[in-house]
Amino acid sequence: MYNFISNSSTIQDIIKGLNLTKGLFVSSIIIGEAHIGKKGLISSIFGDLPMVSAKDTEILKDTLQHHNELIITDFEHIQNTPITLLEDKKIIATANYITNQNIIDDIFAFIYHMPSLKDRKEDILYLTDLYIKEAQKILSDNNDTDINIDDIDIDLQQNTKSLKSSIYKYILNKSMNKEDIKKSLYNYIYKHIDGNNAYKEFLDIYEEPLIKAGLARYHSQLKLSSILGINRNTLRKKILEHKIDA
Amino acid sequence: MHDINFQSFIDSDNSPFILFDNQGKIRYLNNSAEILLGYVSKTELYNIALQYAPQSFGVKTTTLSLNYDNFSFYAITVGYECEEQIYIRFYHAPRVKQSIKIDNTKLILTDINLLLEANITLFKSKYNIPLSLLTDPDIPKFKIDQNRFSKLLRKVFEIFKDAKEVSIYLKFLVGEHIIINNKRYHIVQLGIKASERIDNTHSDISALAKECFISLLLKENAIVLEIPLLID
Repeated sequence: MYNFISNSSTIQDIIKGLNLTKGLFVSSIIIGEAHIGKKGLISSIFGDLPMVSAKDTEILKDTLQHHNELIITDFEHIQNTPITLLEDKKIIATANYITNQNIIDDIFAFIYHMPSLKDRKEDILYLTDLYIKEAQKILSDNNDTDINIDDIDIDLQQNTKSLKSSIYKYILNKSMNKEDIKKSLYNYIYKHIDGNNAYKEFLDIYEEPLIKAGLARYHSQLKLSSILGINRNTLRKKILEHKIDA
Repeated sequence: MHDINFQSFIDSDNSPFILFDNQGKIRYLNNSAEILLGYVSKTELYNIALQYAPQSFGVKTTTLSLNYDNFSFYAITVGYECEEQIYIRFYHAPRVKQSIKIDNTKLILTDINLLLEANITLFKSKYNIPLSLLTDPDIPKFKIDQNRFSKLLRKVFEIFKDAKEVSIYLKFLVGEHIIINNKRYHIVQLGIKASERIDNTHSDISALAKECFISLLLKENAIVLEIPLLID
């Protein structure tokens, strides 16, 4: 069974409420943005019930005819299902948003509102740590990859989906070797090369991070020009050209 | 004739009867009056007795409308034969007899404390309002439409979403019954009180309560549900 963990007090209350009513014939719905863990939470408590999406109207109708207790996800898409089929059923549902307040009000005894990830600071830290470990295990041979959470450009726009994506990208970048970078560049260039100034454009992809990383590491333009083996004025010109803060 | 014990008739009379002394202290009250005093103070009733007393020794019956929670009276009789004591008797207003069909298929033996706790948890997940709960864990399981009753509780709790403080009590009403389809049922009372006035003008709550065979009392700062203890 799926194990759902959250340190948010609101979600702890939702878990408590669902557990209290698990054995009762009451319908509950969790409403909240996409990718905040609604489905996982419900699976962790009602894992033995059949689960069907309201998007799949025919499958839903069939499930409603054969089961008195079920999980309906994407409840915002329920419009195409006759409401009479939902009567006298124990329905545990999730919805990304509310389309028909009256139907929700009429069917569900318990209406929970699950907060977005950006409003669950305790969970952001926990999930970041979890995804880092997961990404390291999958993407990196070495779990000691030098990780600095402050360096990760954490994106919470799409809750866990974008958080996971930003962490995986970070770990992937950290774990790439020379050959991986070459393959990535090859794939990128193969996809995008065209026009009449491609040599310059694609050289910039290499040149800009080269100078930025060099400056970050050596701090001095004089020292960096020596390391790169180019004239100091040439380096200065390229810094201006790429609008790099130096 | 003087061998007849009239007190036993008055004791078991459905109409509340109270005998006060001239200081307003109760010298005698019947069973029905005992229940009434759970809803109104003896001082208030004594003042009513004085206000509607006959001008001289004797008895006077007055038609008036008195309402205390689910007690509703259409008349009172006040009488005194000496300066030391005065009595008051209340006449129940007739109730419209409701014929309710109980659909047993939807009624499930339920621990009401469990449903109450789940609803309190839901409320706490949405609102940061201090709640206090005084409950009786020994209330036996009784039959209830769990989903409908929970919907009612959710809507009742929502009325208190702007309250500064909410107190909840759940108790067994000793000696009180409700009659549904000619059967007597004990009553469990659930009260939700706010520290200030609440907006209790929600019609769908009354409809839901009726569907659950529950008497709903809407007060200025409280809502009281009288729930029949259906066990068969």
